[in-house]
Amino acid sequence: MPSNDASAAAAAARSEPPSMPIHLRPAQPADIPTLVPLLVRLKRLNEEFDPLLRVRDDAEGQAREVLKASIADPKAVVLAAEGVGADKDKVVGLVLAVIRERPFYAPAVEGVILEIYLLPLYRRRGVGEFLLRETTAALKAKGAGVVIAEFPAQNEIASRFYAKRGFRPIIVRQARSL
Amino acid sequence: MAQSAPAPAEDDGPARRVRRAGRSGARREDETEELGRRAVELSRFYAGKVETVPKVPVRSLRDFALWYTPGVAEVSRTIRADPDASFGLTGRWNTIAIVTDGSRVLGLGDIGPEAALPVMEGKALLFKWLGGVDAVPLPIRTRSPDEFIATVERIGPAFGGVNLEDIASPKCFGILEELQRRLPIPVWHDDQLGTAAATIAGLLNALTLTHRNVRETRVVLLGAGAANIATARLLLALGQDPRRLTLVDQRGVLHADRPDLDELELHNPWKFRLALQTNGGGRSGDLSAALDGADVLLAASTPDPNTVRAEHVRRMAPDPVVFALANPVPEIWPDAARAAGAAVVATGRSDFPNQVNNSLIFPAVFRGILDARARAIPDEVVLAAARELARHAADRGLSATHLLPTMEEAEVFPHVAAAAADAAVAKGLARQKLTHDEYLERARLRMGRSARLVRALRRSRLTPTMPRAGTVRHGGSE
Repeated sequence: MPSNDASAAAAAARSEPPSMPIHLRPAQPADIPTLVPLLVRLKRLNEEFDPLLRVRDDAEGQAREVLKASIADPKAVVLAAEGVGADKDKVVGLVLAVIRERPFYAPAVEGVILEIYLLPLYRRRGVGEFLLRETTAALKAKGAGVVIAEFPAQNEIASRFYAKRGFRPIIVRQARSL
Repeated sequence: MAQSAPAPAEDDGPARRVRRAGRSGARREDETEELGRRAVELSRFYAGKVETVPKVPVRSLRDFALWYTPGVAEVSRTIRADPDASFGLTGRWNTIAIVTDGSRVLGLGDIGPEAALPVMEGKALLFKWLGGVDAVPLPIRTRSPDEFIATVERIGPAFGGVNLEDIASPKCFGILEELQRRLPIPVWHDDQLGTAAATIAGLLNALTLTHRNVRETRVVLLGAGAANIATARLLLALGQDPRRLTLVDQRGVLHADRPDLDELELHNPWKFRLALQTNGGGRSGDLSAALDGADVLLAASTPDPNTVRAEHVRRMAPDPVVFALANPVPEIWPDAARAAGAAVVATGRSDFPNQVNNSLIFPAVFRGILDARARAIPDEVVLAAARELARHAADRGLSATHLLPTMEEAEVFPHVAAAAADAAVAKGLARQKLTHDEYLERARLRMGRSARLVRALRRSRLTPTMPRAGTVRHGGSE
């Protein structure tokens, strides 16, 4: 039905479609205790991909410090996704991105998405797409001319997610242990 | 799931259950060992279970000018102009590949492609005997799902269908999905679809018998392997409310907050999806928690009679339905389940009433879809077969001990075949559209022909008489 398509398109154009099961806002220092487990969960998932991504024993403390510093940093974007309705006030997702200079390349400023994590129950409902769109907008507002996503090379879910949305590999990082 | 089983066990009370279980367990072990010895001996004697037999007259070598060159060139030209003509001008219409990577053979695990061959030959024999289907055993040496898929895709032109066999979960899900997407012929994985369809057929009748409907029934699936993941999918296709479905695996209730979900999304997206969709009550914990007030338990998990205990069944809703389908030993003995209040019990064994057996499904389904020369086998076709099987049991009168036809009721199978063919036509997937009665007649003929063929070969001594145990020194049939 064309009228439904039109209203769906209109809804998508708004910053938070009414169907979206989350509310997205900049993270506050008070969110840190609820964001830490999400960030650690994401890092533990990365462990699956490579032994060089083994999570350290002090990961929780590190997560706390990284989040604290990033929330205070004007060159970082830290977003908290809250549930809606009965899950209001429950943090269900996290975005962490930073602005970096590019001394040799144009555009001269890049926005790098370092972490996107969403609790499983909120996946496959278009939330990830929405988080990416909002994060990209926030990075652009901070001057980024290019958006880059970083994730483990073996993470095919992330690969597919970004490829579907126009991303392509531009820099490869390879590693070996010493 | 097709099992031979020891002599029928009488229905004695729970007090004698343990003793009987112990005794039958030991007897069963002896018997299995003896059957194994005999199977090796006969395999050596017959050196294979199926062979290629000409189906055209050969009066003299001159006939090869028709069956082979130069005459055959015109047949090739016809097919070149219309590849689908291969279904009518060659044996493709009735030939399927039984493909495996040998990664999960019977209860033997990952034994490799050569060791899987005798099992695939046995399956080919079943296909021929029960369904009149020419099946080619094809173990493939690769561990990579992508290579496996590519190989099967490339051999597709020779076949009217593909039966995936004994492939480990979860890779079997991706392989089935991808091959169904790529090939213009039906692709079936019996450990998923055959078992699930037989389960659904039994379940439909169990629900009727206990005055329930699919939509409102609370179902617990114990075990989240090939069979139960497929059963869950078919239940949802039947209109089951996903929130009333709860899966339980070794870690307990499958729910969206489980810490292993991230890992599942990577390695088993099918189970991951069910974790998000199901368990509406937000249950967590073990099997007991899942079964609290549940109407139905479908167990396809660990072959141990203490996997499900009486107190588990007692927690269920009044008149619960219990399917304990692990083989060779069910998750709970039927008399124990009944003593704990189960209104209807099914197992995977032929020595108890209500055997949920995939052999009730796969030969008939293939008969039907091959006669329709179907392009695919969507869930609707699978469900049509399950419903038809259920209907035939219902026509003879449902009871707690009569949920499903037995393997002896061979007259049922052509009806299941015709139902599958009809469903393929209804979905617009049939290359050969016939009426229901025509499909039924063809299925009867084809299925009956195998028994006649095997008998004729035996009577003419072309199939040597089975040697007595212990007398085989060398192959007699090479």
